[in-house]
Amino acid sequence: MLKTDNTLAIAGRTAPASARESVKSLKARFARENWIMGILLFVCLAAAPILPGVKGWMATEASLVIIYIIAAQGVSILTGYTGLVSVGHGGFLAAGAYTSALFTEHYGIDMSVGLVLGAIFAGAIGQIMGLVFLRLSGAFMAIGTLGFAFFVGTIVNNVPLFEGRDGISLDHNHFFGFEIGDFGFYYVSLGVLALVTVFIYMLLNSGVGRAFKALRDSEKAAEASGVHRVRYRILAFTVSAAITGLAGVLNAHIVNYISAEVYGDIWYSVDILVAAIIGGSAMLMGPFVGGLFVVMVPFYLETLADFSFVLKGVVLILVLIFAPSGVAELIGRPLRNYRQKLLRAVQASQGPTAAESDIGGRRNV
Amino acid sequence: MSDIALSCDQISVNFGGVRACNQVSLSVPAGKIVGLIGPNGAGKTTLFNVLTRFQPQSEGDVFINGTNVNRHKPHDMIRIGMARTFQNINLFKEQSTLDNILIGSHTLVGNPIAAMMWLGGARKREAGLIRRAEELAEMLHLTRELDNAVGNLSYGYQKRVELARALAAEPNLILLDEPVAGCNDEETADIQNIVRSLNEQLGITVLLVEHDMSMVMKLCDYIYVINFGSNLAQGTPKEVRANPEVISAYLGDEED
Repeated sequence: MLKTDNTLAIAGRTAPASARESVKSLKARFARENWIMGILLFVCLAAAPILPGVKGWMATEASLVIIYIIAAQGVSILTGYTGLVSVGHGGFLAAGAYTSALFTEHYGIDMSVGLVLGAIFAGAIGQIMGLVFLRLSGAFMAIGTLGFAFFVGTIVNNVPLFEGRDGISLDHNHFFGFEIGDFGFYYVSLGVLALVTVFIYMLLNSGVGRAFKALRDSEKAAEASGVHRVRYRILAFTVSAAITGLAGVLNAHIVNYISAEVYGDIWYSVDILVAAIIGGSAMLMGPFVGGLFVVMVPFYLETLADFSFVLKGVVLILVLIFAPSGVAELIGRPLRNYRQKLLRAVQASQGPTAAESDIGGRRNV
Repeated sequence: MSDIALSCDQISVNFGGVRACNQVSLSVPAGKIVGLIGPNGAGKTTLFNVLTRFQPQSEGDVFINGTNVNRHKPHDMIRIGMARTFQNINLFKEQSTLDNILIGSHTLVGNPIAAMMWLGGARKREAGLIRRAEELAEMLHLTRELDNAVGNLSYGYQKRVELARALAAEPNLILLDEPVAGCNDEETADIQNIVRSLNEQLGITVLLVEHDMSMVMKLCDYIYVINFGSNLAQGTPKEVRANPEVISAYLGDEED
């Protein structure tokens, strides 16, 4: 339908096709480098247990970090990319955890099945919440999701099925039939993290990720472009909840015990939101940094007890003031600036850009 | 496809006790550039929002490409071939020009589940969309800006990006809401040329809601004038310019 052989007869300048090709090959190189860095990161993490002096508790602590990363990745889908602040993701964490724990307790299922069921069940609840919160945004969305977290807390505290504060104790973990210990659990967590990360990368580089970001930046413009607001918001809720649900399953199995003592509160919700925001909720690597921070700060400051809460709060405020896009953005800035420079250099060989030239660029004809 | 790309019949819009549009009718023949003008507060924007379904009407019918769209939502419109731009540029400022144009082709992404998991030829489709976005950028001389954030572009270039986004879904009808509002003379001439080329080279029907009289007079094949929410006059630019009612609506009566 569109004629593309001739350009419109309007003022401006055409860049030669070869110039575009060089920009594209540069961008392809960046993408390749990102993949290589990501794979290297996971290879290093997978190889870490062979280092001398690594003990079982370290693997468990690392698994805990991974759980927080995955939970924060779920938050980032909704809060970072779709622009809907959720203070209630602990509810989805609990949904995943209790689903897997209850099925394991009553039917003795494998952990792999638990992961699938937990993700499906948390996703289903996310879908319902997406419908419930359809018309909310901004602060109202935050309050609404907070209400959801309280709701889930009350349910697990009081409905007999969830066994309240007595909790549910589980046997040893089995994954694909093999009994797994601390290190086995670490590898399972790492595998889930890798899958979720690749999935989010694919989502972001597809029309769905674009639609999410469009809804975040301007609902009106997104709708005018044909984005079905309701459908995509619900999709974002579902995907986000399912990912956090996966983290919930891991969180139930890491200590083989869950109770309303922890899931009946909203601390998880706050913690994973803080992890997402400190790391950078609109960046693929953001939850990695945030998860590490949220788990390791109390770990190293154990002697200071409640002071770690104070520190978390102070850091959150500092991040919001000085690096609103998150610490991951701060860390990645040198690399991005360097790449920007390379890109500019290639572009500069094609004459000034519109941003640099006069308004409308008509004098460049 | 019918000969009339867009028509509305006896549109009325009430905001509480205020009647913003009162039985307005107009029709836009396929392949033409039609202008909609009127003094401030005449109801142009309200009518525009009704046509693009951002505002439901109280009475009346809207037909786009022969379909009654009374029950359509804004996101349905692009699928029946109607695209729009916004009065004060409404772009995704942090995102690159390429991403902005790609959002315009959202309806061509296909099943979202397959798209986000890269299943069933989703990547091929995506590559095709990127290629088309690049072609559009070339047509509008935006190739150089494809990887730059649109927030950094000049006003005139942002207008072009918005047009490129509107064109990305291959509409046959495009509604422009005051495209030269806030533009200087050069930018106005630029937009004017682009709109004319869209119409002449791509055969796209245009409904132009505009304040800038000289642009409307130069570009449009036919003009509707509304005032106080009602049809005031219609005709070719020459007829409208000579119409005493239009003159008095814009300039006031001689006695005043």
